[in-house]
Amino acid sequence: MSKRRSDWESRPQARVRRWFYKGFLALDDEIAEKISSPPPPRFDYEEALEAQQAAIDSRQHERSIAIERLDQHNLLVWMRTRGRKAISRLYVALALVLGLMMMVFLLETVALMPRFGDPATPGANEVSARYIEKGLDETGAVNIVAGMILDYRAFDTLGESTVLFIAASAVLILLRIDHDKEGNPAQELIAAESDDRHYEPRDDRILQGSAMVLTPIILLYGIYIILNGHLSPGGGFSGGAIVSAGLILYLVAFGFEKAGRFFTTKTFTWVSFFSLSFYALAKAYAFYMGANGLPSGIPLGTPGAILSSGLIMPLNIAVGMVVACTMYVFYALFRKGGL
Amino acid sequence: MLDWLRFLLTTGFLLSGIIILITSVIGVYKFDYVLNRMHAAAMGDTLGLLFCLLGLTFSAPDIWTVLKLLLIIVFLWFASPVNSHLIARLEVTINPMWQQLPPPPGTPAEEDNE
Repeated sequence: MSKRRSDWESRPQARVRRWFYKGFLALDDEIAEKISSPPPPRFDYEEALEAQQAAIDSRQHERSIAIERLDQHNLLVWMRTRGRKAISRLYVALALVLGLMMMVFLLETVALMPRFGDPATPGANEVSARYIEKGLDETGAVNIVAGMILDYRAFDTLGESTVLFIAASAVLILLRIDHDKEGNPAQELIAAESDDRHYEPRDDRILQGSAMVLTPIILLYGIYIILNGHLSPGGGFSGGAIVSAGLILYLVAFGFEKAGRFFTTKTFTWVSFFSLSFYALAKAYAFYMGANGLPSGIPLGTPGAILSSGLIMPLNIAVGMVVACTMYVFYALFRKGGL
Repeated sequence: MLDWLRFLLTTGFLLSGIIILITSVIGVYKFDYVLNRMHAAAMGDTLGLLFCLLGLTFSAPDIWTVLKLLLIIVFLWFASPVNSHLIARLEVTINPMWQQLPPPPGTPAEEDNE
């Protein structure tokens, strides 16, 4: 069909005809094009308004974000420069005020106290006499010193243990060498370990052999001193020091890798936390029940037996654990900067 | 008779221990080099304290005190020579004088310190 039609269109007559009608045909083409093409878009006023509003909004939003960032930046700069000075001045002023208040209070208290060495004071007569005469009945401890520091003056001992814990935490903050963000050991740690390898006895056969013999004996002796604290001279502080000496001997002989199997920073934190909180709770219970020889529900037992004298033995154990952990952590931190 | 024997044994051991300790103290202050001083101090710690504690065991009141003193002797005999050994090893490790010398025969090859 198309072939026929093309034949027809390519005939000479048709060509002449086309040439003749060319102008009309061009006009027709123009009209057809105009009809076939879509009408030009009409100008939408509302849409333009919306677009303009959106542009204005986005510009305002950007501007507000920029202002916010500038504010944050200014705040940071202020914190780094003038704010730090202001805060440190405030800190110093508060510290001064607090220190002066403490000084005034303490001087006032000292002025109220009796003269040192005065033979007529109750501290020189009644208190020590009562400790010696009634200490065995009231605390149940054969060792009067243990009865004093862990029953009459237990609050003071709690403070001492807390001071040890705080000192160990502060040393941990100051001396600990952290790993970097990817978890790799920091450069200082590698340097410390290489120094360690060079200057410290590592894999020394003689030291290891003697440590294998001595460490259990030292640990047992420390535990004996802690457990026997209410019966013989000793107690939590000295026994804890001996236990930590045994641990340090093990660490020196066998290195941080083997010691890290049973003692890490987590161990230190949890042991100290549980010991101190047990101590605080036990003494809080005793104080709440009257504390001064009043019945608190805790049997005193027969004096001289290992399970006697009420709370003194558990408190000794708590103090000993805190002291042992603290001294071991001190050694590890000062030697390597970590556990 | 027995009391006299105990007294004589105690005083004899104590005196000999004190003499050894005084000798070691003189040695510590007389010598200059680390290993010489360490030798003197280790001698005093081991033998002198051994004699002193043996003398004390002969005048001990009961068997438990004797046992505790013997335990202290064992502890000291472990601790003091090992300490001296560590000091000597540290000196040999650090002092460059010893690293220039060839290692003594019979020592195992040391691992690289790196």
